[in-house]
Amino acid sequence: MPDQATGVIHDLGYRRYEGPRLGRAQIVRALTWHSFRSAWGIGRGVKAKILPILAIVAICLPAFVNAFAVARGNARLFGYDVYTPQFRVIIVTIFLAAQAPELVSRDLRSRVLPLYFSRPLRQDDYPLAKYLALTGALLVLIELPLLILYVGTIASAKSGTGVWDETKALIPGLGMGLLWAVLMAAIGLVLASMTGRRAYATGIVAITCFLSWTLAAVLIQVEGGLGATSDGARLGGLLSPYTVIDGVRIWLGGTNQGLDPTSLGSYGPLYGVVAILMLAASLGGLAARYRKVSQS
Amino acid sequence: MEVIETRSLTKVYPGKTAVTALDGLTVSFEAGVTGLVGANGAGKSTLIKILLGLIPPTKGDAKVLGHDTATEGLTIRTLLGYMPEHDCLPPDMTATELVTHLGRMSGLPATVAKERAAESLRHVGLHEERYRQIGTYSTGMKQRVKLAQALVGDPRLLLLDEPTNGLDPAGRNAMLELIAKIGAEFGISIVVASHLLGEIERICDHLVAIEGGRLLRAASMTSFTQVRQVLAVEVEEGLAQLADELARHGLQATVAGRQTLLVPLGGDDTYDVIRDCVATLRLPLSRLEQRRHQVEELFRDEAQEVPSA
Repeated sequence: MPDQATGVIHDLGYRRYEGPRLGRAQIVRALTWHSFRSAWGIGRGVKAKILPILAIVAICLPAFVNAFAVARGNARLFGYDVYTPQFRVIIVTIFLAAQAPELVSRDLRSRVLPLYFSRPLRQDDYPLAKYLALTGALLVLIELPLLILYVGTIASAKSGTGVWDETKALIPGLGMGLLWAVLMAAIGLVLASMTGRRAYATGIVAITCFLSWTLAAVLIQVEGGLGATSDGARLGGLLSPYTVIDGVRIWLGGTNQGLDPTSLGSYGPLYGVVAILMLAASLGGLAARYRKVSQS
Repeated sequence: MEVIETRSLTKVYPGKTAVTALDGLTVSFEAGVTGLVGANGAGKSTLIKILLGLIPPTKGDAKVLGHDTATEGLTIRTLLGYMPEHDCLPPDMTATELVTHLGRMSGLPATVAKERAAESLRHVGLHEERYRQIGTYSTGMKQRVKLAQALVGDPRLLLLDEPTNGLDPAGRNAMLELIAKIGAEFGISIVVASHLLGEIERICDHLVAIEGGRLLRAASMTSFTQVRQVLAVEVEEGLAQLADELARHGLQATVAGRQTLLVPLGGDDTYDVIRDCVATLRLPLSRLEQRRHQVEELFRDEAQEVPSA
């Protein structure tokens, strides 16, 4: 018998699948994980990995250097809530401009979306998964250097209270990182999903982020610079999501020098409202965009 | 068993010039392979989108495999496989990656998705090429990948929108054979939308023809062929006399060309009657053959017969 079986390929014919199927939530989770990996270039070619890796290495370097300095007896230079403020804006913008199109423009470009919408997903599930994935990717990018700095600092802490003080300082920093990720992912995706042309999408995201940030900085500068108390200086930060986030930080009690005027006067709550409005508008725009795409 | 049933299905796209894509369409699709035929703009794609639960009808309702499209879209999409008309494949992924990923999106667990992706690609005839990037594929291979992704989730019903689009004649034949095989051997019901009736008629068990969003005709292929078997009689002269002679014997012949009469084929005795008539009139008979109407011609006739109401 064995010699008969050798070298024969049996065509089993078509086989039905009667086993368990994933529910909608699990499919969304699978799509989120798939997209999160693509945001880091995992499962894609070598070229797709270059930029995310460069970005995360770049943003972590200051944390490494500072942690090393702390180990040699120096002080921690960066507040966790304002870790390398300007540099972080640049790195996050570059990452966003490159990776938000990676998540949404490619699918628009290759018109693959009908293949998603003809599967057991609801219209909002696709953008939701992409949003969760990009938020997660940004969280890694923003929080990892904070954790490196934290670990490096507590490693040289002399006492338990030292560790506790560091932890207390870290928590608001992580919270601000979450706000960065949540808001910037929404803005990046809604801008990138406007076009299937990746280069345009990258341009739109980069220009919007950098331009609004520059305009906010210019306005604050002409109104007397950081710390000025004029309304113009206090409201200038509303022009850019980055300075809005920083305004929220100050409103919530952040004291370190960040991107924004250190005194917002009575405009603090306004920054909170604008942050929520920006988030709602971006997510609403994203959902509307995909509702339209799914029906066309 | 009906796999699709629609009742007074109407879809009007609002706008300055509102477009009525479907206009009170009531039709049912039986299990098996059904051709959904209509010219471009007849409403085929709109019907497919409603069946997938992606757009709501303006009026009327539709059921797919017993589920209401308005309320059970998710369930329906678990049971359906859809192959869109247009290009929809990312060029920088391999077929294996894409079909595995879409298998996951159909609700298959990770390992099952991998297995079924390999099987689906094998069923559509892609072997070693499946590890190559889709951007390097020919149009025929891309169409096969589109079919494989529709199959991967083990659907009960496949909706194929113009599956032979962009293919050369050999590629068209291969694709049609593949669809016929899936219908016959895999036990999956299939709806093939096409504007080329002549092409898909040979693989279909049933045909549904729509025009201007309305039902033109729905019937099984056998009913067409049974009803419309004809004999073509070609004589070099005396066409009118022959027609009269046949009429006297109870055969209503229609003139189809300068030398040809078409005679409805009742039974074997029809041949005898024609032979006798030709012999009586001593006409030079040059051809006598059984002919199956191209279904396309029949639909054209139907279209002309449809009253304007």
